[in-house]
Amino acid sequence: MSAEPLLHAKKVSITFGGLKALADFDLEIRKGDLQGLIGPNGAGKTTAFNVLTGVYLPTAGDVLVCGERVNGRRPHQINRLGLARTFQNIRLFKQLSVLDNVRIAVLADRKPLFDRERVEKLKRSGFPNRLFGTGLDAIDNYRDWWRALLRTPGFLREEEGIEKRARELLDVMGLSHRVDELAKNLPYGEQRRLEIARALGTKPRVLLLDEPAAGMNTREKADLMVLIRELRTRFELGILVIEHDMKLVMGICEKLTVLDHGETIANGDPSAVRADPRVIEAYLGEAPAHA
Amino acid sequence: MRSLVPVVIAVAVLALVQWLTSTSPYFTYLALVVGVNVVLAVSLNVINGMTGQFSIGHAGFMAVGAFSSAVTSMALNEYRIGFLPAGVEHQFFFIISLTVGGILAAACGFVVGLPSLRLRGDYLAIVTLGFGEIILVIVRNTPKLGGALGLSGKPQHTTLFAVWFTVFLVILFSRRLLTSPHGRNLVAIREDEVAAEAMGVDTTAYKVRAFVVSSFFAGVAGGLFAHFQSIIAPGDSFSFVRSMEIVVFIVAGGLGSTSGAVVAAVFLTLLPDAMRAVFIKFGGDNESLAQSIDQLRKPIFGLLLVLMMLTRPQGLFGTHEAWDWLKPKKKVEPQKGAAT
Ligand SMILES: Nc1ncnc2c1ncn2[C@@H]1O[C@H](COP(=O)(O)OP(=O)(O)O)[C@@H](O)[C@H]1O
Ligand SMILES: [Mg+2]
Repeated sequence: MSAEPLLHAKKVSITFGGLKALADFDLEIRKGDLQGLIGPNGAGKTTAFNVLTGVYLPTAGDVLVCGERVNGRRPHQINRLGLARTFQNIRLFKQLSVLDNVRIAVLADRKPLFDRERVEKLKRSGFPNRLFGTGLDAIDNYRDWWRALLRTPGFLREEEGIEKRARELLDVMGLSHRVDELAKNLPYGEQRRLEIARALGTKPRVLLLDEPAAGMNTREKADLMVLIRELRTRFELGILVIEHDMKLVMGICEKLTVLDHGETIANGDPSAVRADPRVIEAYLGEAPAHA
Repeated sequence: MRSLVPVVIAVAVLALVQWLTSTSPYFTYLALVVGVNVVLAVSLNVINGMTGQFSIGHAGFMAVGAFSSAVTSMALNEYRIGFLPAGVEHQFFFIISLTVGGILAAACGFVVGLPSLRLRGDYLAIVTLGFGEIILVIVRNTPKLGGALGLSGKPQHTTLFAVWFTVFLVILFSRRLLTSPHGRNLVAIREDEVAAEAMGVDTTAYKVRAFVVSSFFAGVAGGLFAHFQSIIAPGDSFSFVRSMEIVVFIVAGGLGSTSGAVVAAVFLTLLPDAMRAVFIKFGGDNESLAQSIDQLRKPIFGLLLVLMMLTRPQGLFGTHEAWDWLKPKKKVEPQKGAAT
């Protein structure tokens, strides 16, 4: 495997008021990894996702996506670098159709007017250049509005491409019979799968799944875990999954990180983690899910 | 080029309507007023309905367009382009002034949109409200814009064709926007800003863009308005109440629904005139009646809005569009694995 991890967290910490929600969190995800992030409720798992994806700014430490330091970048910029996520408390575009939910995530296969990387770099630099970069970005974007309004052949081709890709992803997630329904009308399990389809639409290299099986029955859960493994090979992803059910997570993940009160209390392959006395202690207070 | 077919049809139809109604000044006047309101409603719907931001300063953008385009066309009126016939020349100057009004309004939209990067909900509403008031204060204190008394002596360029062609353009714009990635991004922001951002949508940039394009059309509407009113003054036509009226149009029509905004704007604009006509028919006396009905307009608006919120909080059309019902229902796709 490549030496450089796609997602790399180095001693990341974040405090809310006095509460240390995450302390010295380390993580490396490479292509093809399937890692689990577990821990009791309130351990800081979702907070870790939020820090990695740029929702929160870490109080200390660095996050690197594909080798680039992303502290302080906005979530959409981090997403474009190849990091996509789902949400524990489902955050679909409820009033929109299933197809539109995925279409929003899919980026048009379009040649930008200006070199993307240069524009992004300008936008991240100091005052005058930043304005210049934002201006270039706006020009490119408004030009594209015109193409959309005039329905140019190129635009129509792109739209077709977007729809095709969205339908493919919905097919992969077993939702092709639902494309025209409103997202809010789907049953719970399908909403969670739609969230994954949407995240895949952004062409991620690393996928973060926040309790993707929550609220599903045992059978649905098992199916989903198989599907997640397939996704990894099919889309050549690195996957980090938060899951409450120890048994499930042990079954599919090759590596586990265990959080408790924001601290990483164990890290390594599942059998070793399961035997760790601190992990057992942390989970004793909880329901004996792994009994 | 097929995408331009609707434009050609619209031009033909509107030219015909204009020719047919040219003998009826009352109808034409109503059509102008209604058309301007439709443009305002449909454009505000881009911010409030599609993007889910709450702006209550649309009359301010309209004022920017009205006064700047009026001043522009008064200045242009001094010039002649020798080889053009007068009518063509007027329309040419008119288009220039409308564009100036639209662009200046869009620039204001950009400036007002910037705080929306950080502000949400009520706070953003207050900023837009403040903007509307600031514009009026500026106009009142600028003699060149007519001051408190208002600006008169502008060329009267506005035709039914010009107004309703703009109506057509803004509706076409809204429709095509919604079925493009840009429109979908705006709607994603309305539905869930955090999720939109996580899916790679630059939410701050898109919110500003919504303000810019919406204000552009409001500015053009202002320009159209200025060119058929004998006088434009920083009073009622651009006040906060006016902004709220436009908000009422889109809330009543269903936030997010372009066709709902059109229907509500037409209906609610014609309502006072329709009421007056009815009363006159039953023998009311014309003078005092006209006044009392104009005064009744606001309470009736308020009452309608309250009734609407009680019985149909999603508005007339919800987020649906009239043309969605005209479209043939999509065939249900065969289930996966349905063997033949
Ligand atoms: N924005 C916030 N402000 C204050 N406290 C927060 C915030 N987000 C999370 N926390 C706190 O951080 C801790 C970890 O929460 P979370 O990451 O959601 O846990 P979980 O492991 O169940 O996903 C909790 O005590 C929670 O109350
Ligand atoms: Mg959580």
